[in-house]
Amino acid sequence: MPLRKAVDELFSQARKPTLLPVPELDLPSEPRMLDREQIQERQRMERQRVLESNFSWLQRMANPQEPALLERMTLFWHGHFACDIDNSVLAAQYLNTLRSHALGKFRDLVVAIAREPAMIRYLNNQQNRKDQPNENFARELLELFTIGRGNYTETDIKEGARAFTGWSSTLRGEYIFRPGQHDYDRKTFFGKTGNFDGTDIIDLILERKETALFIVKKIYRYFVNETGPEERIHALAQEFYASGYDISRLMQTIFGSDWFYLPENMGNKIKSPVELLAGMIRSLGLQFEDGLGAVFIQRALGQVLFHPPNVAGWPGGKSWIDNSTLMTRLNLPTIFLASAEANLRPKDDLTVKERSAGLRRLKATYDLQPFSRLIRQNDPEAALNSLREYLLQKESAVDNATIRQYIQATEPGAFLAQSIMRIMSLPEYQMC
Amino acid sequence: MRRREFLRQSGLASTALFVPAFLNQLQFGKLQQRRSGKILIVIQLSGGNDGLNTIVPYRNDLYYKFRPSLGIPPEQVLKVDADQGFNPALESLRSLYDDGLVTVLNSVGYPNPDRSHFRSMDIWHSASSSQEYWNTGWLGRYLDSNCAGCATPYHAIELDDYLSLALKGAQRTGFAMSEPAQLKRTTENRFLKAIGQQHPASEDHDHVAYLYKTMASTQSSANYLFEQSKVYASSVAYPQTPFGRDLKTVAELITADTDTKIYYVSLTGFDTHANQKVQQERLLKQYADGVNALVTDLKQQGLLQDTLILTFSEFGRRVSQNASNGTDHGTANNLFLIGGSLKKPGFFNEAPDLTTLDEEDLIYKLDFRSVYSTVLKQWLQADVPDILGSDFPALALLG
Repeated sequence: MPLRKAVDELFSQARKPTLLPVPELDLPSEPRMLDREQIQERQRMERQRVLESNFSWLQRMANPQEPALLERMTLFWHGHFACDIDNSVLAAQYLNTLRSHALGKFRDLVVAIAREPAMIRYLNNQQNRKDQPNENFARELLELFTIGRGNYTETDIKEGARAFTGWSSTLRGEYIFRPGQHDYDRKTFFGKTGNFDGTDIIDLILERKETALFIVKKIYRYFVNETGPEERIHALAQEFYASGYDISRLMQTIFGSDWFYLPENMGNKIKSPVELLAGMIRSLGLQFEDGLGAVFIQRALGQVLFHPPNVAGWPGGKSWIDNSTLMTRLNLPTIFLASAEANLRPKDDLTVKERSAGLRRLKATYDLQPFSRLIRQNDPEAALNSLREYLLQKESAVDNATIRQYIQATEPGAFLAQSIMRIMSLPEYQMC
Repeated sequence: MRRREFLRQSGLASTALFVPAFLNQLQFGKLQQRRSGKILIVIQLSGGNDGLNTIVPYRNDLYYKFRPSLGIPPEQVLKVDADQGFNPALESLRSLYDDGLVTVLNSVGYPNPDRSHFRSMDIWHSASSSQEYWNTGWLGRYLDSNCAGCATPYHAIELDDYLSLALKGAQRTGFAMSEPAQLKRTTENRFLKAIGQQHPASEDHDHVAYLYKTMASTQSSANYLFEQSKVYASSVAYPQTPFGRDLKTVAELITADTDTKIYYVSLTGFDTHANQKVQQERLLKQYADGVNALVTDLKQQGLLQDTLILTFSEFGRRVSQNASNGTDHGTANNLFLIGGSLKKPGFFNEAPDLTTLDEEDLIYKLDFRSVYSTVLKQWLQADVPDILGSDFPALALLG
């Protein structure tokens, strides 16, 4: 069964995630000696390092040597366990956690996230102490990370928060359990009473089938289609629950199903800015002169890695698109392949000089060598068809004749560059 | 004859600078009565403007106790009332205040305030409570409601490269442009133009149709807005800054009778943790001079009655100054309404209470959603519960 085999291969590639080296936290020897301006200067530098981490993550997603499935899954979990991070050490640890468990057991992932210093700080669990509980983490754990609204009470949040008291982080950015701050008394959660700690609470939440359904719905929406038949989603949730929340098996079932490959499930979702960008970097072999340029595009398009808008993550779908983000998306191929366009009539398209300050950073070189095998034959029509098939997940309504009116080059290299530029400028290229 | 046609036909488009003010008023006096629409301009002060050094409670000893070096000495305050006055940098706002064109609302905020810039801004944009995460903004949901003209792509314009959450609805969104000429450039890609024309807006609701529709409407809007921006050239002096330029663009588009009801403009840099005075006063002056120019401009055109300017910031700052002559993130803050149709110009409510604080921060007295509710109901004639999720009581602010 060739499909099964292809899917298996996808997963075997992803089995052993390579983790990032976590940099040593640059702590001052005498933190108390720093004045306010020095602290602010350090914060500025940290933010700069996070931008560098951002760019290196983006490049990793775009690197054909990296297992694509693992990278997509990791990005998905970043949106799910959304966390705003201003420190490169915390960012590296958090990303390693996501990547280690991205295709593992969901329980391990949730427990690891609950102990993740970046998340602990983001959701104020450092302030969650026995004498003064802070409910922020417990609330989001239930509402956004596991079971979803309508399946718990305010009391569950309060009692749950007590179980996570003392789950804290050190100045160095390591997880630490502080027994003195932990509430060891009995708690009543989901109607059960016991001396629960955080992991018990997570287990109680995962015991509920609604949790499997909540996660499966979100994965289905992200990877398959924004809507889908109830029975199919329920069946997937059933299986996910029965497998002990095995993410890998769930994804194997999804990718191994015939319905996954039906036309209605192909090219029906709008690429997120990071997906769009990583895809373009990968396809065009882009090398940025300045990595900040790539971060600038994320910002202009509304998705900056490590900086989700809030703990609910990026809403996705149509919300990616407004007049401004769409025009930027559609103009990106022209910007990246500007020299291809420069052979045409530089005046009426976006040219480097006319772009706003931020776009000036977008100097990048490209390498179209891998495409040349697609257009070996000296047949423009066949070449365009191959490129369309390769680049577009959704067939475009714009025909080759129209596209060819905007390709003047005849020399094979220039023809290739211009063809790619036009096809990537089609609105259908925004779909995945 | 619409304002725009008038300006066109009288050949004023390029020579508007030389038109005597009396002629403007004479001619426009007739036109303005035909103008039905009210205009809302939202000005966002990003970073958390320090409200206590904006409107200064100069008679309150506690204020000077909390701010031994940052407090503004009484003799420097622009006093407008027995207890409160303006920051000295706000001279041109004070003159609008003296003309009865400003209402100051004190202690505006929301329950369980969040001190993160992003989160608090989110709350102000979406008008959610601090426990909820909404994906749409209050003005975006206004566009979603069946308001007259809401289907126009540029019914609400944000002067920026990207659109804020405030202007994102579930079905419709506002329109972002940093300036009309820049917008036009992004639509000049010949290939995109060709396919935009080839595939006019379809009624289809799938995502691809939505992309084509958004592309085509951006292309046509870009031309329209670019043309509109050339109809009238303001002769009023605006600050020579991006913010000043944005306000000038707004005035010019309004004067040209553009089919836009809401304008959204931001001024950023108010996060004054250290050495606040210089930075805040530079920004406040820019704000006040810009708004004064805008009001002067619109007044000359007889449009002030139809204009409401709402100014907010995501939070105010800590009551006590910090060790670096700055202030840290706080909670409740003041909010300004400016325009020619205010019911109660002056101070809407009493100065902030500095005796009863919550974790060293001000306690809010007016929920910002009541202000939104008032604007939606009384200015935009919209259905409030639909947009805000529940019916926040309107305040007696507008005529």
